[in-house]
This record gives sequence, structure tokens and C-alpha cells, in this order.
Amino acid sequence: MITLYNWDLSVNCYKQRLLLSILDVEYESIPVDFYPGWEHKSAEFKRINPLGHIPVIVDDGYKLRDAHAILTYLASKYDPSGRWYPASDPHLLGETAQWMLFAEGTTNTASAARLHVNLGYEFDIEVLREGAHELFRALDEHLWFREREGLDWVTSSPHPTIADLAIFPDVMLSEEGGISRLDYPAIRRWTDRVRRIEGFVVMPGMFEAAKGAPK
Amino acid sequence: MTTATGHAVCTDPAILNQWYAVAAIPEISVAQVHRTRLLDSSVAYSVTADGECLAWRTAPNDATVTVDASSQLDWLPTRTAFGYLWMSVGEPPPDVFEVQESAEPDRRTLNAATIGIAVSAPRAIENFLDMAHFPYVHPHMLGEEPHTEVADYTTELRNGELWAVDCRFYQPKAAVSSTEGVMAEYLYRVPSPYCAMLYKSSPGDAERMDVIGIFVHPISEEFVRANLFLCLLDDVSSDTTIRRFQQTIFSQDKPILENQYPKRLPLDPRAETPIRADKMAIAYRRWLTDLGVTYGVIPA
Amino acid sequence: MTEAWHPVAASSDLPLRHTFHGQLLGRELAIWRADGGFVNVWENRCLHRGVRLSIGLNDGRELQCQYHGWRYASRTAGCTYIPAHPADAPARTICNRSFLAFERYGLVWTGESPAGELPTVEVLEAADPFGLRNLPVNASAELVIEMLHGHGFQPNAKLDNFGAEIAVQSYGEHCRVLSAMAGGSTTTVVFFVQPVDASRSVIRPVMVGVPEPLVQTDVLRHHNAKLTELRDRIESEAARLPALQPLSAAIEQVPIHLSEVPIGAIGRRKAPLRVQVARKWQTATDIVAIEFESIDGQLPTFQPGAHIDVHLPNGLVRQYSLTNGPGELTHYRVGVKLEAESRGGSASLHETVREGDVVAISEPRNNFPLRRDSLRTVLIAGGIGVTPLLAMAQALHHNDLRYELHYFARADDHVAFRTILDELGDSTQAHLGLSPGGTAAELERILDQPGHAEHVYVCGPGPMLEATRRIAADRGWPDEAVHFEYFQNATEIDDTTSFEINLARSALTLRVGSGETILEVLHQHGVSLGSSCEQGACGTCSVAVLDGEPLHQDVYLSEAERELGDQMMVCVSRTNGKSLTLDI
Repeated sequence: MITLYNWDLSVNCYKQRLLLSILDVEYESIPVDFYPGWEHKSAEFKRINPLGHIPVIVDDGYKLRDAHAILTYLASKYDPSGRWYPASDPHLLGETAQWMLFAEGTTNTASAARLHVNLGYEFDIEVLREGAHELFRALDEHLWFREREGLDWVTSSPHPTIADLAIFPDVMLSEEGGISRLDYPAIRRWTDRVRRIEGFVVMPGMFEAAKGAPK
Repeated sequence: MTTATGHAVCTDPAILNQWYAVAAIPEISVAQVHRTRLLDSSVAYSVTADGECLAWRTAPNDATVTVDASSQLDWLPTRTAFGYLWMSVGEPPPDVFEVQESAEPDRRTLNAATIGIAVSAPRAIENFLDMAHFPYVHPHMLGEEPHTEVADYTTELRNGELWAVDCRFYQPKAAVSSTEGVMAEYLYRVPSPYCAMLYKSSPGDAERMDVIGIFVHPISEEFVRANLFLCLLDDVSSDTTIRRFQQTIFSQDKPILENQYPKRLPLDPRAETPIRADKMAIAYRRWLTDLGVTYGVIPA
Repeated sequence: MTEAWHPVAASSDLPLRHTFHGQLLGRELAIWRADGGFVNVWENRCLHRGVRLSIGLNDGRELQCQYHGWRYASRTAGCTYIPAHPADAPARTICNRSFLAFERYGLVWTGESPAGELPTVEVLEAADPFGLRNLPVNASAELVIEMLHGHGFQPNAKLDNFGAEIAVQSYGEHCRVLSAMAGGSTTTVVFFVQPVDASRSVIRPVMVGVPEPLVQTDVLRHHNAKLTELRDRIESEAARLPALQPLSAAIEQVPIHLSEVPIGAIGRRKAPLRVQVARKWQTATDIVAIEFESIDGQLPTFQPGAHIDVHLPNGLVRQYSLTNGPGELTHYRVGVKLEAESRGGSASLHETVREGDVVAISEPRNNFPLRRDSLRTVLIAGGIGVTPLLAMAQALHHNDLRYELHYFARADDHVAFRTILDELGDSTQAHLGLSPGGTAAELERILDQPGHAEHVYVCGPGPMLEATRRIAADRGWPDEAVHFEYFQNATEIDDTTSFEINLARSALTLRVGSGETILEVLHQHGVSLGSSCEQGACGTCSVAVLDGEPLHQDVYLSEAERELGDQMMVCVSRTNGKSLTLDI
């Protein structure tokens, strides 16, 4: 059984919950009172993760921290189709890694802006917002050309990968950080597609997409 | 009115002369200076090693690091109530309004969350007073389709406070163990323009009600920090568990509030369309009009 | 600028069930395509509490607001359902603000109050348009237009070269046509510039003529790269200019009648609509189906269960339920059964009215509202009574709500509207050729298990309504869970009272004796008042009551309207008091 040290309002924890739900893998969630309890900074939690951040998973005694590392592990282990982490295809694997790194960027800008607005973290909000817009412009352009090729996801795979899941929450909640998506129609369409993936669950702050056409 | 640095500050007496919760006391690190804004004014507060609460007006770029009660500062009045530090930048009444339940010894009192929201205080309060959105914004928690009906309820003024009584709404899974929904009962109370409370049938005690409050800290006309106050009959759950539920509820409301516009609450009856279920919202808007509130609203 | 047409989205920005977030001259827009293809451009604001509709759900026929689940119909933006009050038909037409929209050159066009027709651009009329990637720019439209003079690109045949010669042609305030010429080849691109806000714009370029499939991607990338360079130049220029105040788009006040909570249904919708019989066909033995299309504007919003009054060529007024599904507003479709004892209503529609004829109808009115908070909905139809239930079944079906439609008919050839039934699929069941006893037995089976929060809707001949009502009561269905619609008034009319009527406007006082109706007395005294069914079912003879308490004996007014007591049907209703003052 997987144990996830989790805070419901954390985008990085949500990335794990989302993948686990899509893969239909059972797990136990241990709530960490990130705010206002600052439990992740407690001595007790630092025994689990000395860096004092979440998420952390423990899978049958194997412990792993950092959102995008955990996504890689979970997809590799629990997705028999090999689509979510396409390790057997060098091109797709490279693209997946590239967009996972892009997600580090959206986390450090869009999601950081969200922490500033929601929880009062002292960041230079204008710098974060500008940084997020720069990334969103690149992502919108990329997704527009993907659509032209008949592709729906950030990599050239016909199937979504963990890179989509890594970027999605930062983007979907960007407006909480004061970053509008009005100028990014291709991103908005992609967020509809992600929200229609079978097994998709929301996190607080986002809504489900309208159902697609009846099959 | 503008400050020496040129930015506009609140001049509405109905709003200035109130108490505002600016922080939960257990979350204030002792002997440090904490800076924030209240009604567009730059303010700071500190809790001394002796537990004394201090608040003062500052310059926007103030960098003071330590203070004590003998410092020469533009002091502001403070109170402590229900676990929060309250302050005012006007001439407030002698005391913060009462929440009698908070004195009951068998209750748990805690701050569930303080969250920044890009909205006016009255929009946040009006959302707190609304039941009809439960199935759409808080699905499977406070409501669930198709149970969407808002039964008739009554609004009234009690000692200058606004109340809604006899409110009922279908709630799925009132407790973790239950499989069927229940009709939860609610009472709503608005003791001051930017504070609201709800009293809700407690799963733990059939006779008494849980108390949940929203104490809005208005940073500016269109940005607030909302403090979510809990006063519950629950000696089983951990703080983390209790907070988790309420934080989720709060976070679900946030995108709705931030997608409302205008951000300030329009008091003109012809600005938006009400239905019967909005009785409390209508009463709240009228009450604000009668109080002469101009800050955070678009006056009629 | 508010009088001009502007592009606000690319057609490809509106895929199935998506809601696009747009903005024009400071005003935000929610733009969505219904499954049938119709493009809706609405103010991005739910009239109820000001929430952006661009976060709402496009279900293909209606847009649902995310805050309280209010539903708004495609085409009209009229509200069709308010979940907080599931038993009520919306008592007034709540309509979000919508704007005219057209698609041309692969773009969606609209305007705040556009004057005249959507203009054409000649070069684009001559060849097929090819949409390039649209680019938002943080700069005013004026600056973008200015700097488009200086933009460059290569003709499609010479993409790898550089230094093409550019000719710029101005085409109105917000459009520039650029042609690139090199080595004997020319490519022309029309750049439309959408003024989003004071300092924000979108460049929407459309190429004249579709490039060869093999080079399309290269062409798209070339233009995107060139435009991105242009954008960078424009934005650094804009950064040097003084910042502009964002535009403020005034929010219109709601009409007075929408600013207050309605007590009951307010306002009799008397204004007739002129419609044309667009299609008439035999849908079953003795039943014709008729589709009415508007000839002077958009048909108004309806809710499932609603009916319209049809003013017939012979002067009669008859009520027919709409069979339309949600969001289906290009026409109203009704079913008309030829009644053996027709007083001229159904016979007129069967025999006289033809395709192309113009008739007057009322706005839809709903005395038979459908709750959508039911855990299971049982629809029971007898014969032509299927019509309102078809509208309900389609709404429930489309909303994925649990329902079953039981359709009792004499024989297979009496089953109307097969196409709709086929689309509904397994949830419908026909019960054919049953005797009254057989029908009762079947109803016993259908109504066997009343469940919590389940509702029954029945429409059909009188004896079947009575049987359903009786069986439902026997089986323990609560009264309020069983809903009927009467087209005929089966109430036994009490005409024994006698009283006076004061006609306020005519300054007349008349006596109504037992055995007489108010309507008859009015006619005897030369007061003209329209009437039709004369059994309290059609609403034609509605009169405003200024004083006195009416004794309602009609089946037209809703409970709420009765409680208001400010109108009555004078063909059957009376008073138990001494007098009534009427606004005549």
C-alpha cells in the first residue's frame, strides 16, 4: 500500500492524487497540516523528509520525495501500458523529461504566485507573474501547433503523459495567483482535455470540465 | 483621502469604525513585528513576550524590527477575541461582538485557515450566506445534485444584527460514517458588515450547534484575507482533520469569488437578479445600504 | 468603435463543448458553440450574481453557470432552469446579455452595437481563407495597426529566402492587407486587429488562398515566427509609451421586473409572435406535426412542459405543448390530434393550415414545470398527451438524469414523433392497444414502488389522468410528487353564486346571477372581451382584478398566480363575496 503525505490544497500533492486516481491505484493519504499548522516543518515530519516539504510517498517501505520524481516512479511502476511514462520510446521519453522540467518552471512562477496571494508568502509577485506569462505564451504556441498536427498533449504521444499532469495544476490554478489565461486559448482547450481524462479528479479551486459529446 | 505617499485609503466611517481580525493569535510569532494592510492603511502588530498585543500605523516601507509598549508610535486599538487579534484604524465600539459559544468549555475553537482572495469583503460575506451554491461549488460535501432546492427561510434584524433563521439544506454524508444525506439546519448571523457566522446542526450533539465564522480582513476594496473561525462540538477529530474539510470548502469558493465582477458588491437592486433563495443576500445588501456603507460596494 | 464589427475568436477556438473566454473593447465575452453549430457570444457575466460564464459548462445545448447551476439556452441566452427552485418554471424571462455573431473567414465576428452588415474583404471573397495563428499583443490596437506597416514575411513559394517586397493596403480602421512579393510569387495576408482593451489586442491574420498541404506547417510556423518578432517590437515600443487606463465597459442595469424577487408569475405575455408554418407532416394516424419558424427574430426561450397558444385562421385559440429538446430554438414543434368532436381547432390545423402560412402564437408559457431534482422521473403519456413529456424526456436525457417514459397508444401507427423516441433509446417504452383495465394494470406495475424524491408527470385523456392519480395515491405516492397537465378543465364549475361586478374603466356595475358567467353578462351588455375555450383552460379571457376575492375555477392560472389574486378567467371564475372590481 502506498502512503502519501498530503495536503489537499497543495498542487504538488494533487499531482500525485491525480495520477493515482487515473491509474486507479489505492493509497492511504496522511494529511499534513501545511498551513496554518506548518506541520511539514515540524521535527517529526523532518524525520520523514529532512527538506521539510511535501509530497512524500512511502511505497512498501520505499520512500520518495519531490512531486515530479514521485510521478515518474508511480507511472513507471503502476502503469502497465507504459504510456504515462513512455520509457521505451527515446523520443517520447526525452520530451516527457523536457516538459517535466517546464513544469518546474510553472511551479516556481504560477504556483508560487498562488502561494503569495493565498497564504501571503513574501515573493516579488510581479516577477512571478511575468515569468508565468512568458511560459504560458510558449506553452500556448506549442499546444496550438500540436493541435494542427492532430495531437492533444504536450509531448508528441497520442496519449497524455505525466508531463501533462505535472504542468496542468500550476496552469489550472494560475488565476488564483492573478495570472489570467484569457490570452491562451490553446492552453484553455488543453485544460478541458486533461479534465476529461478518465479517472480525472479535481482539487479544490478547480471545476470539472463540461462532459464531451456522448459516445 | 490619501496618505502622505499618495495612495487612497478608506474614509467610510461605517467600515472604518469596526474591529477586524488580522491574525490568529497562535500563529503570531512572539516579539516579532508583522506587517499588513487594513483598509488600505499600512499597519503592523506584535505580541510581546508577556503576551501583550500591540498594533500601530506604519509608513508603507517601514522596517521596524522590534517594538515595546514604550515606543513612540501611532498606536491603534486592539482586542483579543475567539483566538484572534482584532484591531481598528477608526473609532471602534468598546468590544468585539460576542460569540457566546466560544466560552463554552467543551468546545474546540480554532482558526481553520486564513486565505487571500481577490474580491471585496461584501462579496465574500454574501457567498458565505448563500446555500443554493452548495451542490455546484461544494459537491459531495455541503450539497449534491439533484438535491438543489432552497426551502423558504426567514430573515430578521436582531439588536442591529442581521439574521437568517429556519434555513435547511440537503447535505450528503453529514458524518464520515453516514451513507445517506440529511437535511442540515443552519442559522446565519451578520454581526458586523464584514463578519458573518453560521450555526449548523452538529453531528456530535443533537441539542447544540457548531459555529463557523468568517472574519474578513479587508486589505483593500478588492482584496481580502478571510479568517475562517471554528467553534465546534468535536472532541474526537484532530485539528488537521477539522481544518482539512473547512479549507477545502473555502478553496472551492475562491474561484467563484475571484470570477465575480464587478468585484465590489453592487447595492443597486438593478445590478443583478435575485430569486427567493437570495432573501438573505437581498437583506444583507439593504442592511449595508441602511448602514451607509460605501467601501467595498458600489453604492446604489 | 462600438458600432464596428470585430473578430473576437477563431472558429477553431470553439471546439465541441468548450467555452471560450474573450474580450472586446474592455467587455469580457463568453463565446461557445452549441452542438448544432450555432455560435453564442454573450456578455461574460451571469445576471444572477455576476459570475463569469466562461467558467460555466457548455453542454452542447445550454450553458450552465458554475455558481448556482442556472441554465441558459443557446441562441436566446434565456434562463431555462433555476435549481434552487426546482418546482417553479422561471416566472420571468431572465436573459443574459448576448451579441450578434457571425462566422466569416474562419473568425467569429461580433460588435457591441454593430451598425450595418458585417463587411466583406474583397481579396478574401475571391479565394479560400487560410487562418494563421492568432497572436495576443500587450499594446493598443492603434499601435499594432501602425506597426503592421513595417511587418514583413515571405511568399509561400520562397519561405527560405528573405527580403520580400511588402505592399500594405489599409482596409478600414482595424484591418491591413499585406502582400509579400519575391521572385515572381506573391502571398497576401489580411491582418485583422481586435481591440481587446486599451492596451491589449489580438492580431488575427488570414491568408488569401490555402497553401499546398505539404508546406502548410512551414507556412504557419513562418508567420508565427514573424508575428512573434513583430509582437516583441510592438511590446517594447508600447512599454516606452505612457500606460493607458483599461477601458470600462458599462454593465447594463437589469430590467425593473428582474430586480425584485417574483412572488408569482408576473405579466401575461400577450404580444403574439408571427411565425410561419415551416413544415407540416403526418407523424401518426390522426396526428400531424407542425414546425413553426420565426419570421421576425429569434423565438423566445421555453422550458420543458411549456405550451404555446396558437391563434387559428378561424379565430379560435388553442394550446399546444412544445415537443422541443433543450436549446432547440430554431423552431417550435407541436403535435395536433384531429379530434372527432373538434370545435374547429384541430380540424383547422389539420385541414386548412399549410406550409408557408403565417399564424400568430403566444410566447411559451409553462404550467407544467419539470423538476430536475428528482432521483427518478416517471413520465406517463396517453396518446397526444405525449407532447409535453417528449420535451421533458429530452431534457432529462440530455442532463443524464434518471427517467422513464411510458407511452400508451392505441396501436403502433398511433405512436407519434418516432425520431425523437428513437433518440431517447431504452428509457422509453410503448404500451399499445391496452383496454382501460389493461392500462390500469400496467399503471399499477409502473407506479408500484414510490421512492424518495421521485416524481411522476402524466398527460393524457381525462380517464387516464384520473386512473393515474388514483393508483399513485393507492401506492403511496405523495400528492406533490404527481404532476398533471390539463388542457381541458375537468373541474365541476360552480355557477350558483350571484354577485356584482364593477367595471372600473367603463364605470359600469353589472349583476351576475346564478347560472350566468361573467363573460356572458359582459357580452350581454356590449362589453367586448376575447374568449376562446370558455372552460377556463386557455387564458384568453383573463381580466385584471382590482378589488374583491376571485373564486378561481380555471385550470390556467398557477397556484402562485391564484394567490396573487390580481387576475381571473371570467368564463368560469366568480366570487364568493358580494362584488368584484375588474379592470375593464
